[in-house]
Amino acid sequence: MRKLALLLLVVGVANAADVPIEGTVQSRCTIDTDTAGVYGNPNAYTLTTAPASGGVLPVTRFDVTLADAYYARVTHPSSFSTAPAGNATVTFTGSTEVQTVGDAGMSGYEAAKTTFGSSTQYDLTVAGSLWLKTSSEATNGGDKAFPSGTYRAIVVAECIAK
Amino acid sequence: MTPTYPKWTPSHVEGVWKTTMEMFNKRKDVEWYEIGVFDEKWQPVNFVTSYRLFNMPYLSHVKFDVYVASPDVAIVEYICSKSKLREIREQKTMVSSRVCSRFK
Repeated sequence: MRKLALLLLVVGVANAADVPIEGTVQSRCTIDTDTAGVYGNPNAYTLTTAPASGGVLPVTRFDVTLADAYYARVTHPSSFSTAPAGNATVTFTGSTEVQTVGDAGMSGYEAAKTTFGSSTQYDLTVAGSLWLKTSSEATNGGDKAFPSGTYRAIVVAECIAK
Repeated sequence: MTPTYPKWTPSHVEGVWKTTMEMFNKRKDVEWYEIGVFDEKWQPVNFVTSYRLFNMPYLSHVKFDVYVASPDVAIVEYICSKSKLREIREQKTMVSSRVCSRFK
């Protein structure tokens, strides 16, 4: 019995083979849509992504594998990409802020962000993942009701090498 | 887009330089990406690739060469990939993404 066990052990060892898994980490930035935003309609003349008004904030994820090599820039909408005809002058407002950081070294990102126009820029000094949430609100001029139909707007997320 | 900081190398055609880029699609909601080449003021620069628009299924890779004429090598600053969004009939905000590598 002991000899049989020894034989099985030897056969098992003889059949073992190394199966290598290889990979390289290249310097890059990737952008992913974590959550698609949805406009809520709290009153006839407002569309907003605010959760309190039935909206959903769009969340964008940035992954960088090289520290201090990229800027993340998010621009909230300033017009509809799709809307029914007949709107008055629509006013857009919005903002972008950090939702989650993947590394403790990113804790200062929100305080260090820069804003110009409708764009918000973060200096990605640490490698890892960053989640940014963007709010958007559209108000129809003169408090007139938005015509019924589908409204869509586009958030632009950019990762630009320094 | 990778690499972050590409380099130009001479191509097999005299007076034309090339660089090799690689893209990875991490977005489930996007299948098409467009390539663009820009100077430091974000003005478009003429270039040639096998395809300017790439069909990229989710989590797929694509490797491609970008060619520019010698006089433009010095002025090219960025190579960017931009997502192309499909029209959908939902009341949503969509995210358009752009990733840019830079020549240093």
